[in-house]
Amino acid sequence: MSDIFSLISQSATGLFHLVVFPGGLFALLFGLVLKGIDRKVEARLQRRVGPPLLQPFYDLVKLASKETIIPETANKTLFMYAPLLGFTGMAVCLALLPVPGVYYGMENMGDMLVFFYLLPLPAIALMVAGSSSSSPFGALGFSREMTLMFAYEVPLLLVILAVAMQVGGEGSAEFSLRKIIEYQREHGSFGFTLSMLPAFVAYLLYLPGTMGVPPFDVAEAETEILEGPLLEYSGGLLAFFQLTSAMKLVIALGFGVVMFFPGTVAGGPLVNIVWFAAKCLLLMLVALTLCKAATARMRIEQALSFYLKYPATLALVSVVLAWVSL
Amino acid sequence: MFRFLKLLGKNLAQGPSTDPFPAKEAHTPERFRGRVVVNPEQCVGCRICHHMCAGGAIRIEDNEEKTGYNFTVWHNTCALCGMCRHYCPTKAITLSTDWHNAHTQEDKYDWAAHYSIPYLACAGCGAHIRMLPPQLAARLYAHSPVDMTDLLKLCPSCRQLAAARREEISNDTHEQE
Amino acid sequence: MNLFSDIVVRSPWLYRINAGSCNGCDVELATTACIPRYDVERLGCRYCGSPRHADIVLITGPLTLRVRDKVLRVWQEIPEPKVTVAVGICPISGGVFRGGHSIEGPIDRYIPVDVNVPGCPPRPQSIMEGVLLAKKIWLDRLNGIAPGHKEERHVSLP
Repeated sequence: MSDIFSLISQSATGLFHLVVFPGGLFALLFGLVLKGIDRKVEARLQRRVGPPLLQPFYDLVKLASKETIIPETANKTLFMYAPLLGFTGMAVCLALLPVPGVYYGMENMGDMLVFFYLLPLPAIALMVAGSSSSSPFGALGFSREMTLMFAYEVPLLLVILAVAMQVGGEGSAEFSLRKIIEYQREHGSFGFTLSMLPAFVAYLLYLPGTMGVPPFDVAEAETEILEGPLLEYSGGLLAFFQLTSAMKLVIALGFGVVMFFPGTVAGGPLVNIVWFAAKCLLLMLVALTLCKAATARMRIEQALSFYLKYPATLALVSVVLAWVSL
Repeated sequence: MFRFLKLLGKNLAQGPSTDPFPAKEAHTPERFRGRVVVNPEQCVGCRICHHMCAGGAIRIEDNEEKTGYNFTVWHNTCALCGMCRHYCPTKAITLSTDWHNAHTQEDKYDWAAHYSIPYLACAGCGAHIRMLPPQLAARLYAHSPVDMTDLLKLCPSCRQLAAARREEISNDTHEQE
Repeated sequence: MNLFSDIVVRSPWLYRINAGSCNGCDVELATTACIPRYDVERLGCRYCGSPRHADIVLITGPLTLRVRDKVLRVWQEIPEPKVTVAVGICPISGGVFRGGHSIEGPIDRYIPVDVNVPGCPPRPQSIMEGVLLAKKIWLDRLNGIAPGHKEERHVSLP
């Protein structure tokens, strides 16, 4: 009997984490506000006024009110479900996102690896979308997205490995985010640890690639391949892609915060949520907004060689340092 | 390599350089070529503007009763090149600085300036003529000893007659002397 | 319902179609988008690459014979409700190309145009005025208001 009760309470808290905090509502609102701030600050950096802060919300409402067109030649099932693929992936991923001091995700499991597998899902959804829309631009976007993904996943894997090895010590690796947070509480944040600094820089460079932000927006280049995979999407389906992108922003930033700056402040959970949000915002401003405001688009092979040269090397340096320090 | 950071910082400090246009009237240069404006007082209907207009935006036609002519400028065809202004001999055409040109489709065919310029009935024979604008006449006949005010109201043939009569009178007085 | 459509029109995404334009108006459109001085983004606008994302279509050029079918096809791809703006004198009347052997325009022979922005090219502020007018028409359409008397439809500076 008690088993059933614990099962029910477990699934209830699981549902809460999926729908209200940190996934679902919280992440959606936070992601959209982050996007609004991003656009505003970018505009200010370019001496423009910029859109209102709530512009991403307006965009979503507008898209929901528009007609949704499905191309006749598209694979209708894939075309309809591609946005959901990324969305559900991100929703599940968000339920596991630890907010230091408030919520720690899964207990004692390798949830870092789960993140590594779930993070590329929006990119895969874009690939499915591009290839199912039967548009040549979609196909082009598909191939570019794939190339870019191969490029930026390498440094991400190395960063994860470096962090895991630093925490694991003695030649083993620790992939539990909870353990990583606890380790950093004792030994200081990795963002301020010398041996982890290259990995942090590599993660900063990984962010614009995964978010499809200039100079790495090669896959969704609206001026050369007409937004690539998103070309045929309109209305509600496009809104799903926007939501996915907002959620992914929260995950990518939150993951970085957990890996490098998981420090907490004294106070209730609410204070810690605000602290977490502030760190995410700062990370976004440095890694995405500055990048966006200052750079132009790279060619796909430039992006590929960039990722395999610099962030991968930096992350590798951290891996070696983590290895040597034991 | 990191000069761009300095630039971005400067941009952030200087604040936006955006024109507050929809909220406030935008700055318009004095010599801006906006909508074409015709002064019907000065127009003599010589049609040089009609001839010069690249887009064919100017139309000059006699009205139905032939008591005047209609001068129409279609703003939706006007390329704002200013050629009409340049070639207008009486300086009747000017380009205003008004650029508030956006309008709905319903207004499309109303987006024109219509001027109707009346002919004058000749004081002698009653034929319809376009009187020479007084300002232009004043400039043209500044050194003429003849008083032109009445002569300007005559059609060319009546003016010929008047000139002949004037000549006759002066000859007569000459002979009497 | 009113609030909903009020929010909807705050995000007009622009899409531009070049129907055989000389590129003058396109440069002016790019100026409106890219130069900090004009910055359409503060009106919630965004130039989008795909016709499927568009709300307000800006058409430039006199609609040449060769490009006619493509323009019509692209225009059909844009999801409803859409507002069409003719930018420059060419799409409105044919402009200096009127009567040319390869000119199929004016564009309202084929496409129901909503707003005209004459000029050769119109200045960026004029284009922004046209976009504001298009926004107003879009709002009216969402609220189910039939096109009103023309005096009410002029953009008034707020």
